[in-house]
Amino acid sequence: MPQSRTVTRRDFLKTSARAGLLLAAGSPLLSSAGRARGAIDNHLPPDLAVVTGDPEKAVLKALDLLGGMKRFVKQGQKVVIKPNMSFAKTPDEAANTSPEVVASVARACMDAGAKTVLVVDHTLQKEELCLELSGIRKSCRSVKGTHVLALNDEQFYQSVPVPRGKVLTAVKVMKEVVRCDVLINLPTAKSHSATTVSLGMKGLMGVIWDRKYFHAKVDLHQAIADLGSLIKPKLTIIDATRALLTGGPAGPGKTVTLNTIIAGIDPVAVDTYGVGIGQWYNRTFTIDQVEHIMAAHRMGLGTINLDQMRITKESL
Amino acid sequence: MRRTIQLLSLLFFTYLFFRAAYPLSSAIPVDLFLRADPLNLLITSLAAREVVEKALPALILIVLTLLFGRFFCGFICPLGTILDLCGTFLKAEKPRFPEQLRGIKMYLLTGLTVAALFGANLLYLFDPIVILTRTFTIIFYPLSILLTNLALDGLRPLADYRGWITLTYLHYYQPLFSMSLVTGSIFIALLLLNCITPRFWCRYLCPLGALLALFARFGIFKRIVDNRCTSCMKCREVCPMGAIDDNPRRVKATECLQCRTCRIICPSDAISFRAIYSPFHEDTQRAVGITRRGFLYALSGGGMAGFFLFNDPATKNRSDKLIRPPGALPEEGFLNTCIRCSECMKVCITNTLQPSLFEGGLEGLWTPRANLRFAACEQTCNLCGSVCPTQAIRNLDLEEKKYAKIGTAVILREKCLVWEQDRACLICDEQCPYNAIVFKEVEGFRRPFVLEDKCNGCGFCEHKCPVEGEAAIVVRPLGEVRLKEGSYSEAARIANLDLREDTGDDQFSAESDE
Repeated sequence: MPQSRTVTRRDFLKTSARAGLLLAAGSPLLSSAGRARGAIDNHLPPDLAVVTGDPEKAVLKALDLLGGMKRFVKQGQKVVIKPNMSFAKTPDEAANTSPEVVASVARACMDAGAKTVLVVDHTLQKEELCLELSGIRKSCRSVKGTHVLALNDEQFYQSVPVPRGKVLTAVKVMKEVVRCDVLINLPTAKSHSATTVSLGMKGLMGVIWDRKYFHAKVDLHQAIADLGSLIKPKLTIIDATRALLTGGPAGPGKTVTLNTIIAGIDPVAVDTYGVGIGQWYNRTFTIDQVEHIMAAHRMGLGTINLDQMRITKESL
Repeated sequence: MRRTIQLLSLLFFTYLFFRAAYPLSSAIPVDLFLRADPLNLLITSLAAREVVEKALPALILIVLTLLFGRFFCGFICPLGTILDLCGTFLKAEKPRFPEQLRGIKMYLLTGLTVAALFGANLLYLFDPIVILTRTFTIIFYPLSILLTNLALDGLRPLADYRGWITLTYLHYYQPLFSMSLVTGSIFIALLLLNCITPRFWCRYLCPLGALLALFARFGIFKRIVDNRCTSCMKCREVCPMGAIDDNPRRVKATECLQCRTCRIICPSDAISFRAIYSPFHEDTQRAVGITRRGFLYALSGGGMAGFFLFNDPATKNRSDKLIRPPGALPEEGFLNTCIRCSECMKVCITNTLQPSLFEGGLEGLWTPRANLRFAACEQTCNLCGSVCPTQAIRNLDLEEKKYAKIGTAVILREKCLVWEQDRACLICDEQCPYNAIVFKEVEGFRRPFVLEDKCNGCGFCEHKCPVEGEAAIVVRPLGEVRLKEGSYSEAARIANLDLREDTGDDQFSAESDE
């Protein structure tokens, strides 16, 4: 039975979503899958840079090893940095990324010619407290062109389809993450009661609107991997200057000072390395015990095989 | 001149009101107006059976009233100013002056005092500063945020286009409050009374004005009319309080606001205000028509009100829904001391503090309760106690406040996703700042339990519980710790309450117990 050509709300939404997808495809963030990896060539920057030492110097050294921030941030680009600043906790409690590391990365972006740097998170506790107690607002105040924002209102999010999603069909993502030129994921290294660890990919749950849905309605691990198929940071830097070994993600818990920065392009590889840096919950976890990273690996979002990676370690 | 001072005072009141916010950094106490309120000092001290120390600045106002009469009502009172301002729009074509009502405020003052002797603090129904602060919190504060956000939303496309990043993302948390219908209606009714008589509230009802009138009798500045007076009656028409007699040389001295409007209007310059000490001057005697009968009614009315509120087991039969703010005095003392000004609800960073309807019994109207399903109590915030003008909520430092246990989380197993549906939910555990939720294996599945000794009732679990409707883990008053004095951490130590921020034995929940 032919229907008259009325546009139903559903049609309208579908069409809008498709249009949104097309627009989004223009964004380098959402388009490229993992880079093809060539033969091992020592003249190319390493896949992973692991630097220990003073946090600010270590993060700059790691960027340096990866070929410098100019490799990722071009003149006039809009950069979004996603740290952990979701909890009303002070830096020593290790639930948020260290303020000086965030400021260093922001400064490196600006020095590389970025137009603006937005440091964003969707905070779990009151934004005023998170921005204040995390110390991130204060540390970034001196970095010109950098804004620290807690985006806690739904109007700052837009629905984006997840074409490769296994449990997600669409997800509401920060508009600023969709339209920026460069996304840098800057998580802190934490234990997590539901996902063993909260590193890069788990941290990206901070750019979506409805986290409850991930926890309560779908398989959390697969949902994180699905999200990883949609949101691709150009760079993932794990701030393991100190790690929250137990009691994560909010703490309080056992913290350990590692003074380590792990940086790389492959989000799965960076996270895989991160699993091995500490005794999470007082034991050693192998990567096959961390379901969300395994799910991302199976989806081809990156590799868990660190033996195939070129890893440069430096101690300052 | 008077209007300017009035507006400045209202502005100052509003400024202090909005400064009651995190991080509390005002050099001037944000509850200054409430603390300078002599009616609060009198009634709350009587009801609480001890002098409210924080309200002692009210003595300054009393001294000033002894010197200058009821200048407070004419120059300072923010509600008076609002009534004057609204008087421009809300006015009667033919105002009526039911002079026999003038005594009501005295009767109210009497009634409030007697009720306070019974331990019932009814200040909240009639004190202008309390009514205004409460209306500001429950009505104007959320309204102003709503309008600000609407304006910001309107500007957003432009800000985005121009690349003004701060403005593009400026958005304020929208506070929400229950009881807005009742609170707003009372305020609107006060304004509408202006349609009968200008400043109806101040002339006939305000017990704070009545209390100040008692002191104003000793005021040394008196209105003097010399023999240039032509009895043109212009002064009588403009007097905002209707204090001038049929004989314009005479004034109800204790009703006079010292506003000097009559002096300015007088065409023959016959009026002056001079310092004369004459508490028993004829003018002061003609104050307000209180009758012996009316006074007795007020005594018995206040007594009855006090008794009716006393004669109610509600304060003993505590509702499970009634979670008091951390540091709240023991319930009975709390009800007698809390003046329902809502300052704590204004300052509450998470908006969990909400006015009670009947959760605290009839006597608990408008008292603060933590609505933990709506929002949790932030552990790094202790502002409710620092702004409470009567210390019904004690001012505790963050460490002490942590031990001011407001209740205990209870798992409703029939709703819990883990207990009922074997789902792998652990949000309560993840949210708990004290690791008071542990998992134990029951019927082959790891299920959550609450460690009562590690729970201080902050409510993050209840707030974040993912089930629809009422949460599957709810905070009950069970085990709350409320001390009139002394150290909470000490009491906690004795009660074995363990809120150390240390989780040495925390286990990854997907593994089995060791």
